[in-house]
Amino acid sequence: MKEFKSYIVPLLTLSLCAVLLTGSWFFYLKKDIPSAKSDQFIQDKEALGRLLQNSSEIQKMWTEGEDSRVWGTIKTECLRQFKITSPFDESLLRCNPMLLECNFLFNPKLNYRLVKPETNNGNNLKWYRYLTKSNSAHVGLEHSGFLFTIEDKLSHKHLDLFLADQCQEVFLQKRIYAYGEEVIDKPSEDIEDYRFDNFNQNIYIDRHLVMNSEINDWIDFGNPNFTKGLKKIEDDSLFMPASGLDYNQMENYCSFKGKQILQAHYFDAATFLPSDLTDTTPNKNNRSPYYWTKKKSEFKSDSLDNCALFYAEECQEKKRFQLNSSGPSWAGVLDSMGGIFEVMRNPIDPESNLKASSYYFNFKSSWHKLGFRANWNGEGFELRNFDFLGLNPAGAIDKFKVGFRCMRESQ
Amino acid sequence: MHARVTVKCFFLLLMIFLLASCKAFVSNELSPEEAEIKIYQEWLYTFKISDLKGNGEIFKRPPGIEQLIFRLVIPTIGGTSVKTQCIYYRVPYKEIEGLLKIIEQKNESSCPDISSSDSWLELKAISDLQVKLENFKLILNFKNKNNKINWTFLLPNINNGITHEKYQAAKEQKLFPGLTFLRITDESFDLLRSKYLGKLSDRMGHGSAIRCHQVDKSCQTVGENRCDSCQYGWYQVVDFNCPEGGSKFCGQNHCGEKNEPACPRGTKLNDGLDEGICQSDLSPVLNAEHILVCQ
Repeated sequence: MKEFKSYIVPLLTLSLCAVLLTGSWFFYLKKDIPSAKSDQFIQDKEALGRLLQNSSEIQKMWTEGEDSRVWGTIKTECLRQFKITSPFDESLLRCNPMLLECNFLFNPKLNYRLVKPETNNGNNLKWYRYLTKSNSAHVGLEHSGFLFTIEDKLSHKHLDLFLADQCQEVFLQKRIYAYGEEVIDKPSEDIEDYRFDNFNQNIYIDRHLVMNSEINDWIDFGNPNFTKGLKKIEDDSLFMPASGLDYNQMENYCSFKGKQILQAHYFDAATFLPSDLTDTTPNKNNRSPYYWTKKKSEFKSDSLDNCALFYAEECQEKKRFQLNSSGPSWAGVLDSMGGIFEVMRNPIDPESNLKASSYYFNFKSSWHKLGFRANWNGEGFELRNFDFLGLNPAGAIDKFKVGFRCMRESQ
Repeated sequence: MHARVTVKCFFLLLMIFLLASCKAFVSNELSPEEAEIKIYQEWLYTFKISDLKGNGEIFKRPPGIEQLIFRLVIPTIGGTSVKTQCIYYRVPYKEIEGLLKIIEQKNESSCPDISSSDSWLELKAISDLQVKLENFKLILNFKNKNNKINWTFLLPNINNGITHEKYQAAKEQKLFPGLTFLRITDESFDLLRSKYLGKLSDRMGHGSAIRCHQVDKSCQTVGENRCDSCQYGWYQVVDFNCPEGGSKFCGQNHCGEKNEPACPRGTKLNDGLDEGICQSDLSPVLNAEHILVCQ
């Protein structure tokens, strides 16, 4: 009992302190903090609201590209920033990260900033990451695209935006098509008018040839084992077609994007102008050798005005070649004739894999016909790597340029 | 001896008292403002919403009993997997107060009719709850201690499908088409955690390609369609010539080549042609799995 008495005073003091401390702590939390906390929640909600509003504007700019309000105001500085001096088809700015980067760099009115991502090699100069299913473990990526992180200037809160890069594709209408040049005589066992349809497929084809800027993203964000030996091409050539890849690299690039290299019969489908656009199941597929007309003999080869139809050898004197020089085919595919060579995978006649219609041939050349293809061995770019069926270019060319595009099926 | 026991009892009581006081601080009970921002920071990333009940009407039944009002599938932080949130509501009845309760489950799973005890969030003293989903906005209106509360959560990651239109790019039916909000951390780039399917070297001809979608002879889907998870794209093969397409494999397409599948030739050409496309020196033949291959 005596022992207890010696404990009682400190114990009582201790318990009183504990009760007081607990009580005041409880009072502090329940009384003082709620208003401060409540303010904090309101600020957090406002910050999230601003980030979502900015995301909505970014998405609009992403799809509008050159038509967006902001492009006119930042164009000069943007082109200077990326050292682009030659004209290019500005529709390529749709779904292109350059516009967002320039908007961030040169638009002083923004209440957000872009956060530069850290990459493994630590030397990413870009304000984004290119994400695909092969370089990211994040679930729910339906396509490849660009990852931007935006930061609210006021609250420093972040939001990660994934912008899909699928607005440079066209859907191939479901109908009966034909492959290759039209067989004029009655088809025999040897000569088949090869027809097919895509009623049970949703096919998307790239509008334009793959650009250097896209290959740069592959080099920066793809598996380095597949991009060995490739060098980034910058500045004025960013919007030019990528033309230095061998065939395997082209196939692998398309795979990196979850796509396939374009197949020859789908190229024909997207370029031969159907004789009746309303009849999707014609009994016969009449086809003109030119993408812009149904007539088979309309083309006059002695006019420089033809450069608007396709960019042949003579056009080089008139203006510098750029991507998307030739108008769109009926399906919306650009550069289906002229420009540089384009390789495709031909599952019917593998040797006929090269659209030879290009600026390596003058307007009079027989190569300027849809469905008529040469051969490229996919390895080099000298004359010996090609088979032009005896219809070789007139001049000596050290290194030919071969472009490509991708396609994909969708569910 | 007796004194020692008394001292020990006293200490024990003191500890219990202190621990009991702490309970108030670790409770899941939140203010509506706190709950709203906590919820929004999570639901913003929702990929799927299902089992939505109420259709904008005030929940009045069953009184005093908890019910599942909707279910969400949300990526985890880092986005390497998904989790399910089950949202329950208890209609107030006499002394039983109204309760909004959210529980979390691993992976994508169905929600039990009655919640478990562990909650991710609880909001008490609520009544007159209305829930509706309108144009990718989830709206919750309710009363909390007689204050009217209106919550609106944007669900920008919900995708109601893709519109295919000739001459056009694919258009997602989303709040912001083409834009998805991700939950990026370093883990998002740890490819060991990736659930995407296939390798670049996979070939159907070698037997290494993953079949991501299978249809049977009556053109019904067998199992799950996983083609959206293919790491390097996918391609269709010719098997039962179904109007909605055939089985599909992940990887690089080499259709038409030797020992590879024939390329689809379509379904509307009835002029005795081969149903698949092969290189001109090869012919399409059915393999044991009823797939046309080129040989």
